Amino acid sequence: MSRRRSTATDATLRYLPVLVAATAFALPLAWVVVTSLKKQSEFGSSLLPAAPQLANYQLALSLLDFMKFATNSLVLSSSYALIVVMVSALVGYGFARHRAPGRGRLFMLVLATLMVPNLVLFVPQFVIFAKLGLTNTYWPWILWALGGSPFATFPRELDDAAEVDGAGPLRIFFQIYLPNAGPALAASAIFMFLWVWGDYLYPILLLNGDNTTLAVKMSSAYVDPRGNPLQTVTMAGVVLYVLPLIAFFAAANRFIVRGIVTTGLKG
Amino acid sequence: MTGAAQVLDRPVARVAPWRRRGLRRAVTFYLLISPWLIGFVLLAAIPLVMAFLMSLSNYDGLNLEYVQFVGLENYLRAFTDPDAQHALGRTLLLMAIVVPFSLALQLALALLVNQRIRFTSLFRTIFYLPYVIPVVAAAWVWKIFVDPTGGLLNALLGVAGAAVNVRWLVEYPTVVLALLTIWGAAGGGMVVFLAGLQGIPAEYREAAMIDGANRLQVTRHITLPLLSPVIFFNLVTGIIATLQILVQPMLLAPGILGLSPGTVPPRDNYLYAVHAYLEIFVKQLFGYGSALLWLLFGVVLALTLVLFKTSRRWVFYGIEP
Repeated sequence: MSRRRSTATDATLRYLPVLVAATAFALPLAWVVVTSLKKQSEFGSSLLPAAPQLANYQLALSLLDFMKFATNSLVLSSSYALIVVMVSALVGYGFARHRAPGRGRLFMLVLATLMVPNLVLFVPQFVIFAKLGLTNTYWPWILWALGGSPFATFPRELDDAAEVDGAGPLRIFFQIYLPNAGPALAASAIFMFLWVWGDYLYPILLLNGDNTTLAVKMSSAYVDPRGNPLQTVTMAGVVLYVLPLIAFFAAANRFIVRGIVTTGLKG
Repeated sequence: MTGAAQVLDRPVARVAPWRRRGLRRAVTFYLLISPWLIGFVLLAAIPLVMAFLMSLSNYDGLNLEYVQFVGLENYLRAFTDPDAQHALGRTLLLMAIVVPFSLALQLALALLVNQRIRFTSLFRTIFYLPYVIPVVAAAWVWKIFVDPTGGLLNALLGVAGAAVNVRWLVEYPTVVLALLTIWGAAGGGMVVFLAGLQGIPAEYREAAMIDGANRLQVTRHITLPLLSPVIFFNLVTGIIATLQILVQPMLLAPGILGLSPGTVPPRDNYLYAVHAYLEIFVKQLFGYGSALLWLLFGVVLALTLVLFKTSRRWVFYGIEP
């Protein structure tokens, strides 16, 4: 055996596995885009579209009131993300920086409830929301957001310094804590947004008709006037549903990875 | 409370400063966490008690007048319900396929994108993308990818000379579900592994290299042991998530009009959470369904505890960074 492999073999060894994996991961996604550009008659008969059919995208926007449901999703996702992040920051600040009798036991409670499957909690919540007449409104999400989550972590030294100078807890929170927690808060806001935008279970059970979200609308296929499925237009709709997320995510990529690295494991 | 009041009634100068400070800190603490505390009581504590009481009753989700206490009947019923047993079996099978494969893939991807190669951020994005794609879109991605006529998978198999008219969602629904799950979870696990890898000081690997270890040996004897806490974390979260899979099998149910809620998935993809969901929201058996969900919680808890017990033997917490 030669002591040093040639650089060409070395490069192949380094790049081949990652290229194969990336192709396998991207291929199903690329196929959605390819299908969205076909004529409906080309679906199942030819592998690639003869000419890209951008008309599918127009149909996806007009065959149902796409923008209305997109707006619903946007309103619901962003208000949830905004509220939950603000509340979580405040509560996380309380847990991280303040000592009081009962704090330890409360924290154990938080951890214990995290283990309970979501559905166990959701079923009684559903009953409560129904009895209070909150189904088919956005109130359940607002209430969930107001509950917040005490899992934000921030550097400690800053507010110790502020306390020495005599600032009160709220002043520390707004003037020192919040500005410094920026990246972590932005990352968790993005994840909260993604969660609501993508969630299918809760809107299907809690919302209906015009109030529902794009996720619910996208779960059924577009059809032609005779009720035949239009897979090509459906794929165009799926692309339009996902594209804003991908753009959003690409813009915030660094944030997100950093946010996970700093909060995900050590939280 | 009286103790605190007495303390405050005394002349201020006599009170130990730490005590006043302690009371103020406690008030501040409870004020700061009050939104969460109220939310916790209303959205977690009360529902938990309700969920437990419900599981002991015949509640149908509508009429409180007819609610009767039925004791452990719902729980006993679960043990004789053939659908529940079938569903549990399929769920454990899916877990046994998905979790080990996912862990290996996530670790491999993290190692691949942690190399000193070009375009790492592009590769990371490609692997991470499926993780942020909404479940409805992901279900469509796979539904169209494995479509008998319009799908790429059959076309590729056709090029390879194999059968070309496989109806994947009907004949092999669990394969598609497993692919969707593994593909969708890979990026999340990869990022966690990547953070773990980057937390290993480079000197450890370099020292081993100087001592003559090759890349494989370094991975096996240096990287993997130091990563074991991360492996353990991904293993536990992977198991908990897989046991609770609910919407994916319903969204993947075959049918040309696409995805619809409350659809009974093919028998092979009839998972435990699906069974509980259908019992509750379709058959309106809130009592029995709640019992099923508590039993699922029991399985999750038991598996987690077993894993924590065994973790002492293979998870390495030796080096503090």
